[in-house]
Amino acid sequence: MKKISFSKALFALMLILLLALAACSGGSDDEGSGDSGSDDAGTEEGTDEGTDEGEEGDSEAAEGEDGLYSIEDFSTDKTNEGEAIEGGTLQYGLVTDTAFEGTLNWNFYSGTYDAEILGWFGESLLSNDDKYRYTNDGAATYEVSDDNRTFTFTIKDNVNWHDGEPVTAEDWAFSFEVIGDPEYTGVRYGADFTNIEGMEAYNAGEADSISGIEVVDEKTLKITYIKASPSLLTGGIWPYAMPKHIFGDIPVAEMDSSPEVRENPIGFGPFKVESIVPGESVTMVKNEDYWQGEPKLDGVTVKVVNPSTVVQAFETGEVDAVDSFPADQYPDNADMSNVEFLGMIDLAYTYIGFKLGTWDSENAEVVMDDSKKMSDVNLRRAMWYAVDNDAVGKNFYNGLRWNATTLIPPSHPEYHDETIETPTYDPEEAKRILDEAGYVDTNGDGMRENPEGEELVINFASMSGGDTAEPLANYYIQSWNAVGLDVQLLDGRLQEFNTFYDRVGQSGEDDPAVDIYQGAWGVGYDVNPQGLYGHKALFNFPRYESEENTALLEDGVSEESFDVEHRKQVYSDWQKLMVEEIPVFPTLYRSLLAPVNNRVQNYSIAVDFNALHEIAVTEEEPIAAE
Amino acid sequence: MWKFIVRRLVITFPQIILLSVLVFIMAQMMPGDALSGMIDPNIDPAAIEKQRENLGLNDPWHERYVDWVGGLLQGDLGESFRFKMEVTELVEQRLINSFWLGVATLFFTYLIAIPLGIISGRWNDTWGDQLITGYTYIGFATPLFIFALVMLWVFGFQLQWFPTGGSVEPGLTPGSFDYVWSKFQHLLLPALSLALIATVNTVQYLRSEIVDTKQKDFIITARAKGASESRVYNRHIFRNSLLPIAAFFGFEITGLIGGTVFVEQIFGYPGMGLLFMESILLRDYTVVIAVVLLFGIASILGALISDIILSLVDPRIRIK
Repeated sequence: MKKISFSKALFALMLILLLALAACSGGSDDEGSGDSGSDDAGTEEGTDEGTDEGEEGDSEAAEGEDGLYSIEDFSTDKTNEGEAIEGGTLQYGLVTDTAFEGTLNWNFYSGTYDAEILGWFGESLLSNDDKYRYTNDGAATYEVSDDNRTFTFTIKDNVNWHDGEPVTAEDWAFSFEVIGDPEYTGVRYGADFTNIEGMEAYNAGEADSISGIEVVDEKTLKITYIKASPSLLTGGIWPYAMPKHIFGDIPVAEMDSSPEVRENPIGFGPFKVESIVPGESVTMVKNEDYWQGEPKLDGVTVKVVNPSTVVQAFETGEVDAVDSFPADQYPDNADMSNVEFLGMIDLAYTYIGFKLGTWDSENAEVVMDDSKKMSDVNLRRAMWYAVDNDAVGKNFYNGLRWNATTLIPPSHPEYHDETIETPTYDPEEAKRILDEAGYVDTNGDGMRENPEGEELVINFASMSGGDTAEPLANYYIQSWNAVGLDVQLLDGRLQEFNTFYDRVGQSGEDDPAVDIYQGAWGVGYDVNPQGLYGHKALFNFPRYESEENTALLEDGVSEESFDVEHRKQVYSDWQKLMVEEIPVFPTLYRSLLAPVNNRVQNYSIAVDFNALHEIAVTEEEPIAAE
Repeated sequence: MWKFIVRRLVITFPQIILLSVLVFIMAQMMPGDALSGMIDPNIDPAAIEKQRENLGLNDPWHERYVDWVGGLLQGDLGESFRFKMEVTELVEQRLINSFWLGVATLFFTYLIAIPLGIISGRWNDTWGDQLITGYTYIGFATPLFIFALVMLWVFGFQLQWFPTGGSVEPGLTPGSFDYVWSKFQHLLLPALSLALIATVNTVQYLRSEIVDTKQKDFIITARAKGASESRVYNRHIFRNSLLPIAAFFGFEITGLIGGTVFVEQIFGYPGMGLLFMESILLRDYTVVIAVVLLFGIASILGALISDIILSLVDPRIRIK
């Protein structure tokens, strides 16, 4: 009897231990996956918060060379098969586990999903080419004055709002007035607007109108900028009009919550909003009066699709296309029979940053500090040599991310300088540089001390989120350990998204405990990196500045740089400078994949695609996988 | 009885006030705020700072708390940073969805629990009972978020019996029959997933009650008096066993709240649970506070209902 109760007790104890073990291993949740909602529109410079990183990369490493893919094998345009039918409805998915905000107006939206929805019905007046420059093919044409400061826009005659009213110069000017209004509740007001003559006076309430904006006639608008810059041509001009006949009577402060934004949004794009289920879906029907011609589809349904089921949604034909597809799911689904995968180089890069100074909030500028741990450029260069980014790309991302070289990604082929030699994996070289610079192991613990003979412990901040975040951070730490540098994870753990950027310095209060960090940037249509590396830029997280850097960045947006050749040279020099100075070093470039159902025709993810009205389908319903 | 309820309500108020203070402070302590997701060089940091100022994010927490309570007393929960709309309006939109999900879940929970509990209790230790208890153990052990995903995959995607996301088919006119029907269809799978897991408690509870009551003296008496087996079960045992189940009802509501957080996220069903998750992740404080407070109130009320039912059915626990 006694024996039995003993064995029972033992069994119970084992169960308890098992539970304790299970509880201990439950640390890696998918924190941060919800953050995707705050990501910015893909077309703008924005953050990549490591969330999609998080969703990527299972254990494909085992596949070896055969399991690798290259972005060069993907096309941005859908190949057309079969005969298109009349009408049909496209099912478009927004891949997110949060609801979309529903602020459906260009002047007020803040979420990337709202921007996706807006893209279908609210068109930009200016279209752009594959080099991200404004063209004259869009709803409006433009002319630049000789001094490059004054732009004259002419809206095409047949461009009408969904309610039949013509889109006028007045509407466009109104858009500027709303954003410049002191009561404006959105976040768009910034350098692009203060650069317009008279904008600051208007914003301060000193002027009744913006002196630099002139409505010449019903269809002609003239905007005068204070400073000419080539950046104006690549997204620097606000291209969205706002219907004055609808919003004119609404106080600016109340616009963002008005039904005209939330329930009955309006635009002049190929589709018009028919109904909205808040946070879930938007049903759109074609705009027969569309200026480029009647759309071929009857309508588009945009709806939220959960990231964990997006593959199934494609297989069953629930969606035809989505706004973003988790790249880590590609290797498993590469041969899905009912879709074609489109791909392009993403406007983004991942990087390792070194803290070289602090932020002076009073003067709003970067202050370099030579006494920082990472101040020695040799140390930084050695750390670049120590990591094998090519292997990271192959093992973690199946080749869908690859070794990055310069800080202007190849998504901007005009300015990305391929010829620049950058450090690539060479641990011996790393060791040699460290030895020469005086980083040697003096106390025999296997880790190098700094030239003064003091212990050197480098704190590495990395963001949590998803399965690869931790192994990736560990990989980098091991690589640096291998060349004798004692790099440790800050606090011994990964940082949650908000904490990470707080400590790295998004509010200007940098945490001195952070020595190096891994981050990512999305780059804008405009190649100008001033917002990230300028000495007045809060987002210059490495807190790096130098005269040469400032001069080059200024030159890149100067009037001379309207000459593309000149600008190319400037940015080539800047990329070289960054490789020499290494305030940060880029680790990976990324690809963007988009599956599209086989029934869809004329679809494209190219940046200069402006023909949503041409999209057609060959069958009533999306094709399901076999 | 009334005295008891009033006394219970009086205790509830300080609980809610304490809850609101706690929630407020904790929300304040979370790193980042609603605007910290906008790390975008195209957005002027000054514009963001201005927004922070306008939204009062820079004020000390106690000032904001007083503001907030002031608003609350007038029925104003503030404005959501993210959705740019009144929190009351937003919560109303979502609450309706969650309410129907809750009702359907409770309905299924009891629809499954009562017959299973009775079968398992009446014929305990038969193979049928073993099967049912087997199911309850699996139910206890299965994490809801895995189970719901499996359900979605099998019934939503493989068999395609149910819609796989959202609360209604896009493009239907609210109020029409199609609209209501579509809402119902969208509700079924999440409600079933929740109910199949939530029900195991009740099944076990009912089973052990019945097994317990079966051996009570009054049942033996009833049998000795010659009452038929069905009469014994339906009139005596079942009734007596059901009372504690009724008392459990209040707690069931509390449990539901936890469940909806997972299920709504998996099914992309825009209810309170989803709103709760996303507002925390995106630091939409006003919404977090409002939702947590509502959840808190629901839990406290749930416990209150349980206490009241219990005291109605069982005079022994009534507070003197």
